[in-house]
Amino acid sequence: MSNILKQRGVCFFAYNNEQLDYVKMAVVAGKYVKENLQLPVCLLTDEGSATWLEESHSKELINEAFDYIVITKDEMKSNPRRHYDSPWAEFSAQFNNSNKHKIYEYSPFEQTLLLDIDYIVKTDTLLKYFDGKHPVCMFDNALTIKNELPAQQERFLYDAGIKMWWSTVVYFDRSEFSKMFFDTWAHVADNYEFYQYLYNFPSNLFRTDYCVSIAVHILGGMQDYQTGIGNFDNTSLVNMGQKDDVIETHGLNEWILLAHDRKEEWKNILVKVDKQDIHVMNKRALSRILPKLLEAFDG
Amino acid sequence: MDERLEKALEFSNYALTINNQKRNIRNRVAQLQIVHHLGGVFIADHETIAFIKALIDLKHKSSIVIDNKNNPITVKSLQGLLEKLVDAYTSATTEFDIENEKLKKARNIKKIMDW
Repeated sequence: MSNILKQRGVCFFAYNNEQLDYVKMAVVAGKYVKENLQLPVCLLTDEGSATWLEESHSKELINEAFDYIVITKDEMKSNPRRHYDSPWAEFSAQFNNSNKHKIYEYSPFEQTLLLDIDYIVKTDTLLKYFDGKHPVCMFDNALTIKNELPAQQERFLYDAGIKMWWSTVVYFDRSEFSKMFFDTWAHVADNYEFYQYLYNFPSNLFRTDYCVSIAVHILGGMQDYQTGIGNFDNTSLVNMGQKDDVIETHGLNEWILLAHDRKEEWKNILVKVDKQDIHVMNKRALSRILPKLLEAFDG
Repeated sequence: MDERLEKALEFSNYALTINNQKRNIRNRVAQLQIVHHLGGVFIADHETIAFIKALIDLKHKSSIVIDNKNNPITVKSLQGLLEKLVDAYTSATTEFDIENEKLKKARNIKKIMDW
């Protein structure tokens, strides 16, 4: 890779585990980015996942989805995560996310949009933040697909705690402030147990959402005030929860989803999502529709 | 089940679904109404458009305008900002109208989902 940074682009981290094919999800997420943002895409992965990517997909498809593939060699912490696939099925898998703050070092771009592989870009809304005045942007609020606020533990680090910021979508540039933000994130990640004690967030899973929330809090002078960090104009991250499901997709953009009720899980309503970026947290549901989405790209 | 209750529950499910879709559209429209201009954030609503137009009518070519985040923005060309706001407003309301018309005609959940 050249030392000269490309102007703008999108990055995805994808590390496969025994349960989930993250690189396959990244292929589809990358193609959505190309379709709707028309930006170059960089995949950050490890050797094993990269080999699997090459074995399981054609070279042509890989080249269509990614402009750069960066192999990382970071040692990952043990981080078992419980996943749901609808309210009725669950499984556990290792979640490799402990090097996410290193994106500042790994990204080949001057201005980077770091997306989780389960964030599907169906609009060009995020483009305008490349011309915004904030060196770092993340979502600080979210909505479910039923337009409800997420559960309390997804809004605050604990009941009387600080507000949660989401690391699902992180825009950043190469300013001093951005560097300081990622250094602070790294510091929190390195001292996770200490900050867990200080901020009282749940300890069972290493979450980068907690790291960025604490970094924002520290940089804002330990107050509910941020300088330099934008919240995408107060718009919401739209979360399709792990207990929601995808029923059908029509073409690339029209998805029909099943939204569950948090209190009475057997009650569902149908939701049509069209021109809306969406965070598909049920990764098995996303995996199920990948072949159909790839077909729709070809069609 | 009592037929009256069955019908009521069916209608309540329909109402839940259609209201959720309406909120989805409003969220999308609100997103389309956000205009970034010279580092400021403006909402393309009636108030902002009318205010900028009033400044232009009073022969101002440029002005300091307080944006949606309460920051002063030096707008060198009010006409340029007005055009951006009207463009954003028009595309947002056009999309709103199209989606709203579709929903108005949808008398059951299948129709709402376009099935």
